[in-house]
Amino acid sequence: MEVFEAIMSRRSVRKYKAEPIPDEFIEKILEAGRWAPTGGNLQPWKFIIVKDPKILGMIRKVSPGYLGATPFAVVVCSDRERAYEIGGKLARDYLCIADCAMAVENMLLAAHALGLGACSVKSFSPVALKEILEIPNGIEPELVVIIGYSDKEPSRPPRFPLEEITHINKYGEKWLKEK
Amino acid sequence: MKQEKKVTGDEYFFEIAVFLATSARGCMDEPPLYGPFRLIDGLSRLIDLPKYTPCLSDDAFLKRMKAEIDEKKFLVMFDQEGFRKFLDELVYQFSKELKERTLK
Repeated sequence: MEVFEAIMSRRSVRKYKAEPIPDEFIEKILEAGRWAPTGGNLQPWKFIIVKDPKILGMIRKVSPGYLGATPFAVVVCSDRERAYEIGGKLARDYLCIADCAMAVENMLLAAHALGLGACSVKSFSPVALKEILEIPNGIEPELVVIIGYSDKEPSRPPRFPLEEITHINKYGEKWLKEK
Repeated sequence: MKQEKKVTGDEYFFEIAVFLATSARGCMDEPPLYGPFRLIDGLSRLIDLPKYTPCLSDDAFLKRMKAEIDEKKFLVMFDQEGFRKFLDELVYQFSKELKERTLK
């Protein structure tokens, strides 16, 4: 799938089939995450892949935003402690989140290009996730990427028109699409 | 594929309890509109309880409401006004049903 097509056709899927995902797909999705942009090559991410249905079930139960059951999930965490040692507050409080978000977007696009559905979930209890997955102090779960075969393709959500969100040369100067 | 273990009523009940507790904490930090969304999603889950608890009987009205909720709950993501109208309509249906059940 061509990149622009993948970006335009990706949706947040909230209903999945129970079908398992091939292992080679999982590795490709993780690789896509690993090669995301990262400030100062910080690479703050740690990925916890979850395939065990019991653990997936527990994650789902403590994550109100985890809608639909999937056979697979990646919990994307950041190593906040290491980030602080290397890059101070900026790295710990901003880059960790920004870099993990970019890794997640890569994963979502990779999953979509492989014919899978996925959704990035932030509505989870970090306290509960840390307990369930035995995540040590200093490592923070940032996002949960739930992945499976889509059972219902969501419709295209509305987006603000480009002209409404884009300025040219300075803020407030309206940018108009060339006709 | 491995046969999934049947969920018991107690397990499902506990699942709803965990959902409510984590939602309550989440609502402290999440966008305010997620509050009504969690409540309505919680209601949808609650209506499924008789599926796992033989001593509860299926309620045709509630099942109909659940279908409606599951179809329209995601309006919250992109159509706030539509979501409000859907909740108004839902409450209206519930009030009508309440009246009917009380006065019959």
